[in-house]
Amino acid sequence: MKKLFALMLALAMVLTMVSLASAEETGKVYYLNFKPEADQAWQALAAQYTQQTGVEVKVLTAASGTYKQTLTSELDKGAAAPTLFQIGNAEGVVTWKDYTLPLDGTELLAEMTTEDFNLKNADGATVAAGYCYEAYGIITNKALLAKAGYSVADIKDFASLKAVADDIHARAAELGFDAFTSAGLDGSSSWRFSGHLTNMPLFYEFRDDGITEQPATVKGSYLDAYKNIWDLYITDSAADVKKLSGYTGADAEKDFYDGKAVFFQNGTWEYESLIGYGMNPDDLAMLPIYCGVEGEENAALCAGTENCWAVNAKASEADQKATLDFLKWVVTSDEGTQMMAKEFGPIPFKAAKASTNVFFNDSTALLSEGKYVVTWAFNFTPDSDNWRAGIVSALEQYSAGAADWGEIEYAFVEGWATCYANTH
Amino acid sequence: METSLKKASARPQEKQTTGKIVLTAVFAVISLIWMLPIAIVLMNSFKENGFVNSEVFALPNAQSYVGMSNYINGMTFGNYPFYLSAGYSVYITIVSTGLILLCTSMAAWYISRVDDLFSKAVYYLCVFSMVVPFQMVMFTLANTARELRLDTPWSIPVVYLGFGAGLAVFMFVGFVKSIPIDIEEAASIDGCGPVRTFFSVVFPMMKPTLISVGVLEIMWVWNDYLLPYLVLDQTKYKTIPIHIQYLQGSYGRVDLGATMALIILSLLPIIIFYLSCQKHIIKGVAAGAVKG
Amino acid sequence: MKKKSAPGAVTSPLIRKPIQRRFALFLLPTFLCFCAGFLWPFIQGIYLSVHSFTTTSNATWVGFVNYTKAFNDAGFRQAFGYTALVAVVSLVLINVLAFAVAYALTRGIKGSNLFRGVFFVPNLIGGIVLGYIWKTIIDSALPVSMSIQANYGFWGLIVVMCWQQVGYMMIIYIAGLQAVPEDMLEAARIDGANGWRTLWHITLPNVMPSITICTFLSLTNGFKLYDQNLVLTNGAPVRRGIGQTEMLALNIAKTFSTANQRGVAQAKAVLFFLLVTAISLIQLSATRSKEVQQ
Repeated sequence: MKKLFALMLALAMVLTMVSLASAEETGKVYYLNFKPEADQAWQALAAQYTQQTGVEVKVLTAASGTYKQTLTSELDKGAAAPTLFQIGNAEGVVTWKDYTLPLDGTELLAEMTTEDFNLKNADGATVAAGYCYEAYGIITNKALLAKAGYSVADIKDFASLKAVADDIHARAAELGFDAFTSAGLDGSSSWRFSGHLTNMPLFYEFRDDGITEQPATVKGSYLDAYKNIWDLYITDSAADVKKLSGYTGADAEKDFYDGKAVFFQNGTWEYESLIGYGMNPDDLAMLPIYCGVEGEENAALCAGTENCWAVNAKASEADQKATLDFLKWVVTSDEGTQMMAKEFGPIPFKAAKASTNVFFNDSTALLSEGKYVVTWAFNFTPDSDNWRAGIVSALEQYSAGAADWGEIEYAFVEGWATCYANTH
Repeated sequence: METSLKKASARPQEKQTTGKIVLTAVFAVISLIWMLPIAIVLMNSFKENGFVNSEVFALPNAQSYVGMSNYINGMTFGNYPFYLSAGYSVYITIVSTGLILLCTSMAAWYISRVDDLFSKAVYYLCVFSMVVPFQMVMFTLANTARELRLDTPWSIPVVYLGFGAGLAVFMFVGFVKSIPIDIEEAASIDGCGPVRTFFSVVFPMMKPTLISVGVLEIMWVWNDYLLPYLVLDQTKYKTIPIHIQYLQGSYGRVDLGATMALIILSLLPIIIFYLSCQKHIIKGVAAGAVKG
Repeated sequence: MKKKSAPGAVTSPLIRKPIQRRFALFLLPTFLCFCAGFLWPFIQGIYLSVHSFTTTSNATWVGFVNYTKAFNDAGFRQAFGYTALVAVVSLVLINVLAFAVAYALTRGIKGSNLFRGVFFVPNLIGGIVLGYIWKTIIDSALPVSMSIQANYGFWGLIVVMCWQQVGYMMIIYIAGLQAVPEDMLEAARIDGANGWRTLWHITLPNVMPSITICTFLSLTNGFKLYDQNLVLTNGAPVRRGIGQTEMLALNIAKTFSTANQRGVAQAKAVLFFLLVTAISLIQLSATRSKEVQQ
């Protein structure tokens, strides 16, 4: 017994020593990745880079909805902190102001085709590079729509969307499919509504009020529109409104690729998965989200980005250099650009590979018709994880009939003010 | 007098026998219900993902049964293999418990036998640490642990020794105070130094307390979530509770079937541990509580 | 515990000196780890509670502002009330059930050992895994999920706590019941006392030490509960910005995750610590005074 303990103690101590002794001298890259869907692609790419150059590239992906929390604790880790991380919006620039290295003059920025998606700090320095842009809307299965006797041309605004959806829902048993996929409020799905769908009321309110930077308060003047579309999602769907928190992102996706629903609110990033599940690109289209706002027949898709690379200013110089070299390789090398095109669509870099993603083509087509882009107003959300959590809980209760719409108004308006106050 | 005595002892006796059979039956039923949650998880671990959510209480049928595939998927599900988490959990639990037992038993002996001001201070600080909730130190402990490079499975036992010292020292001191000092004096007169006295005389006598403390520490470390979650470098190391929590709502593709399988796998070691030393565990818990 | 033994009984000069010389071997390792794992973080925690900081290295002194903010936080106050409710309800239920089971299982019925073993099993399962199991079951069994109806969330949590802790407390009660002197029970029987009277007048006073420990444990367990709360509802439903099922530990952990609320979170943690300590002391002295003096 005594020997065993002595042995264990000795073992523990030796191992501790070993772990203490293994400090690195050459630069290394540690990327805290934001997109779970792209995790495997990043891991593979990192391995390729390490194989080619010998530079250690570590990629960690935070679970959905925990990025900020993970980043907070990871950045505290001193020398073991991420050298490369993601900033989604203006709020992030403020929160991480001590950790963002100005990127002006770097080779990475020189490779970019547009500055539109980059983020600048208060001094006007570019601190985060928008490495891709995305668009979202209502993904539509044209084949099913035709089966129900409609085409995408029939849907021009909220009224026509509702008419089509209501009709499909009414005939669901006969058709064998419903209008919308489940509006799941599990953490893996809820961001579609608390983040992306709330963009509709935010965008129109900011447009009316001419707001171009993060406001301390919002009025929720377009919450009626939000209610219109949310009610439609949960009414014209097969999902049990009392258990929306039980439906995951995978459930909604499955409804769609199994041909159980015609409409699926999601983004360009969903394309590869849907094709992977055997869907035909010719059957897919992405419609703008119509929610009953005047003039919305001229709206295009919601396009923007919350994917901007920031380099940790507190990392060692060697690590910063290694990180910038890695990024340059990602956006210029064959392997890198191929991966980026596949996972992120048309990236704003000179060496970008063409994308086959039909959703981006839909987006471009709408823009060429002269329609207006619904920009990503939700990027202004203060303390966005908490604000969204409030919206999700309110949606859950409202949908189950446990609370009235006032709960959502409160989470939207008062929640914004609280979250703003907590972070300023 | 005689009759009343007879009556008094005879009546309950008679009542008890029928009563006892009923009680046994009642407890048999309650025991089954008590195990039901685990049975449900076991059942669902053999069902296809989609059926776990929609029909939790249904037995697997031809349509939903997927054999062992959830167990196989679960092992590699996500971007972190489960067997690694399980390995780290086992390692951390064993080494931490070993370290705590060795170091705190020695410390407790020192505290009781030297009994100077410093020892007393350490002792009362240990007792005090038992009531402090983890939230009080969660942020600062995580930082300190990182600064001291205690954020790996190889070094985290040091944190466990530090944060878990309170209860262990308390229990060991309570025990050492009950050992007659004559034996140690005799050893000392025979020319034994403190190290030999401790390891050949005191340590063997501590066996019951070692087992009690060991059991409590194993149960604590194995199931602990927040401490390793905050302290460990999660890019490299996870433990079972962290792994299970990570699966919830992550990755946009929650595989409930695989999660159920992983829960069963994570229960196996602790159930085996329980079955193999049930007596010690129950004694340990009772003793730990009485001392605490 | 406080009994002062004669100095000679616990130590003697003969062995004291040699041990003292081996300080570095015997006490130092534990003491250093204790400093790193508890003492230093604890002191730093108090220090940081009067500072504003995002990381420990950039703290600036702000006085008691954090405490004022903590008190003014409606979510924190709600969490306090909710935690107290959970702690008290679970305390009563767990102890009544555990005592009942322990009492029944010490009647010498067939299969006692097996039943005892079964009841203890949930205790081996950690809060996270245990919560996950029950969340799956409860949310499927109920018409709406626990994250919608705070009532369901509350009772769900209580069920989970009972399932987990009854077995543990039962073990302690069994140990207590087995220590009740047989001759006292015999005497009561001879006096013709019925079962209830014996239970009330003989058994209960004699298991008072067990009751002290069990109520102490279940009360502090209730106040410190985190894992199960996190997994079952994570504080939802949120009403008017306030998590209806959020307990103190979870509230504090969530506050820590908002970067510039960390000072407030640390102040909340200090308040939480004071509360738990106060409750422990009050509860211990209250029940200890009712124990049979021997």
